[in-house]
Parts: sequence; C-alpha cells; structure tokens
Amino acid sequence: MANLLWLQGGACSGNTMSFLNAEEPSACDLVTDFGINVLWHPSLGVELGDNLQRLLNDCVSGNTPLDIFVFEGSVVNAPNGTGEWNRFAGKPMKQWVKALSGVATFVVAIGDCATWGGIPATAPNPSESQGLQFLKRNHGGFLGKEFRSKAGLPVINIPGCPAHPDWITQIVVAVATGRGGEIGLDELQRPKTFFQSFTQTGCTRNMHFAYKVSATEFGQRKGCLYYDLGCRGPMTHSPCNRILWNRQSSKTRSGMPCLGCTEPEFPFFDLAPGTVFKTQTVMGIPKDLPTGVDKKGYIALTGAAKNAAPAWAEQDMFIV
Amino acid sequence: MRPEEEDRLLGKIAHLLESGLKTQVEPFPETHIEFAKILDELRALPQEDLRAKLVIGGFTNTPYGPDQMRCLECMYYLVHRKWCDLPELAVPVEPDWWCRLWRI
Ligand code: SF4
Ligand code: SF4
Ligand code: SF4
Repeated sequence: MANLLWLQGGACSGNTMSFLNAEEPSACDLVTDFGINVLWHPSLGVELGDNLQRLLNDCVSGNTPLDIFVFEGSVVNAPNGTGEWNRFAGKPMKQWVKALSGVATFVVAIGDCATWGGIPATAPNPSESQGLQFLKRNHGGFLGKEFRSKAGLPVINIPGCPAHPDWITQIVVAVATGRGGEIGLDELQRPKTFFQSFTQTGCTRNMHFAYKVSATEFGQRKGCLYYDLGCRGPMTHSPCNRILWNRQSSKTRSGMPCLGCTEPEFPFFDLAPGTVFKTQTVMGIPKDLPTGVDKKGYIALTGAAKNAAPAWAEQDMFIV
Repeated sequence: MRPEEEDRLLGKIAHLLESGLKTQVEPFPETHIEFAKILDELRALPQEDLRAKLVIGGFTNTPYGPDQMRCLECMYYLVHRKWCDLPELAVPVEPDWWCRLWRI
C-alpha cells in the first residue's frame, strides 16, 4: 500500500484531466491493481475544511506516511515572495509544498508548470511562479537544486502541457511498486523511458522529413511540418509518436506541428511576434537544427539524402 | 526519360547563364517575409518571361557562398527530374546551380 497525495498550485487542471483519461494503467487500476491509496486529490478527494487540514497535517507530522507527493501547477510566490495569491487549506500553498516535500518518499512534478514553471513563469511572470526544482532550463526552482526526497531522488519531472496520461500513471506505478530507484533520470530529471527519444521517433512524416517535402498548412496529409511550420519534433524529447494520444494519434500525425511542450523553452521561447508556428531560417538554413546536428552536417546530410532519394519519393503519396 | 521539352528548356537556361546573364543574387532573403516578397515579384511576371524569372530568382550556374550551396541540397530540387519544384520558378535546373530562394 502506497499513500499518494496530489495537490495543485498555479494550474489549469490540464494534467488532472489527462490523468483521469489514462488507460494503461487507468486511475482506477492504480487503486484496484497496484494498491495505491489516494489520500487526497483536488478532483477526487472527499475531505474538506478541517478534515482536509487534519489529513495534510497528519502527513507533515509523519502520522500518515506519505509515499508519493504529486504536484501539478507552478509554485506561486506572489506577491513579494509571500505566496498569498495561492492560499490553500489555511495557508499559502508554497508552505504546504515545502512541508510535504520534506516528508515524502518520492516527489513527482507533473506538467510544465510544476516542472519548469511553464506558461505562468513566462516573462513578465506576474505570479512569481517557479517549478519545483527548475525555472525554465535552470535549477532555479522552489525546492532548490540540492533537494532530495526521502528516497534520495530529486523531483521526478514529468513535463508536458499537459503530460500524457500514461506517462503519469506508469511512473506512479513504478514508484509505488518499489521500482522508483530504478527510474533513470536525464539532466532535466525526466524519466529516460519516456524522454530519451524524440517526438520525431515514430512520426509518420519521417519520410517527408528525409526527402524534404514540406507541409505548408496545418492538417495537410503530405509533408513534414519542420520546414515551414516550425515543428519542434526533431529537438523535443517525448514519445508522442510511440505512446499515442487517446491511443489514436499525435499532433504531427494529425498535421499540427509539435510545439516542444516537454522542453523548458515551451511555449516558443519568448513568444516574439512572427516566431510561432514559423520556421526561422538563417541563409536558408533552419535556425534550430535537429538535436546533435550542426550546420555543415545538415547540409552534407541533405545532399546525401537527395542523392539517395528513390524515384517514388518525388511522387505524391496520397492520391485520394 | 525526361520530356525533350524540359531538356531543351534546360539547355536554353544554361546558355543564358553561360553567356553572362546578370541575375539578382543579393540580397538573400533572411526572413520568411523577405522570401515571400521575392515570390510575389515572381508571381507578378508574365508566365513566358523566363529571363526575368532567372534574374529575380538570382540564378547562378555554380554553387554559391562559403557553404557552396547548390540546388542539389535545396528542398525544392527534384533529383530525378532535375527540376526546381518551387511553384514560382518551376524550371529544369542542374544540381550544381543555385538561386537565392535556396532553402533546406
Ligand atoms: S512533422 Fe515534425 S516530428 Fe514529424 S518528421 Fe517532420 S519534423 Fe519530424
Ligand atoms: S507532440 Fe510535441 S507539443 Fe505535442 S504533446 Fe508531444 S511534445 Fe508536446
Ligand atoms: S529554389 Fe533555387 S536553389 Fe532551390 S532548386 Fe530551385 S533553383 Fe535551385
């Protein structure tokens, strides 16, 4: 039996919605098959008022062991570092976050707001938001760089806007069934199982990427979304084309460029006008190249791909 | 086999470039707005004005710049047809040529 507590800071509930849509395993499976005891969750918890405060205080005091503390949303520090803009159960939420993180065996941040600060932390960041251990790409989060939960792990970051349902439930199960220590984390503390490969892995437009056939509008069936529409699939770590959304599809499969929502630069770096859904180029070469490829390599690669292109690559594949 | 007509057109373009046709290789369009402006100029041309197409496109019959950019690498180049598939150009080209609408 593992006790799980889920709280929300500066959040839109997107990750909760996502979590409730999980299927492999589902939120119910967590309880029935994996022995997870959901102490409280904003959409599922029944306790209110004094009862809720008692429940939380019991966790903080150690009367109720807290195995997994899940946090969704940013840590709100406004105004002036007090956190008063986001009060919960009688005090600023950030105080609960500090106290509960201190006693939890594992701390899991779900979604971009909890991991990097997300959209709320985008300049000018009026809510003074932070992620649990990161602020964008840097270790500038609320709990501090050195934070380790009782299991000795830093915050386990499951980014995404929102995170995919199955990334959430599968990691929770891994942690609850005692495999938490085996979760390999990358330098941004994301589980490697999900975040070592790129969004591009498994994208059905890969052939169009290789042979440089560009889609010029959303929803087009033919063409890669990288050359014109700013798809961030080649530099975004996510399994969106391996673990499909609603078990059916992904952004790129349906003709929508990947926005890079599992990377701290989401949404589109500084959101400067003209940079959204547009591939920025310098002398005809995309400014952001696929991860690990430099300009010279990219040109050479293109030449080689073109030279090797089979005749059918130039034909229209989708003749309705 | 490529249609003979395309071969003839390729020969004609090659001849124009060899005989020193001055084309507008600069400025290279840095942003998609500048790129679209050149495309607009091309769209405004009468269909049969091949020479003007080459001038505004900025064609050269050699690779260009420090990176030796060529049609071969350009995303509009169709290898098997030796063809520039950019709708506003749509002409046969050699892999070692270049124009300022080059993009990869
Ligand atoms: S659409 Fe995006 S993810 Fe798919 S191949 Fe193109 S660049 Fe890669
Ligand atoms: S495809 Fe890209 S933007 Fe969409 S969910 Fe996956 S990582 Fe996020
Ligand atoms: S756009 Fe220019 S560089 Fe590209 S294939 Fe056409 S002529 Fe060549």
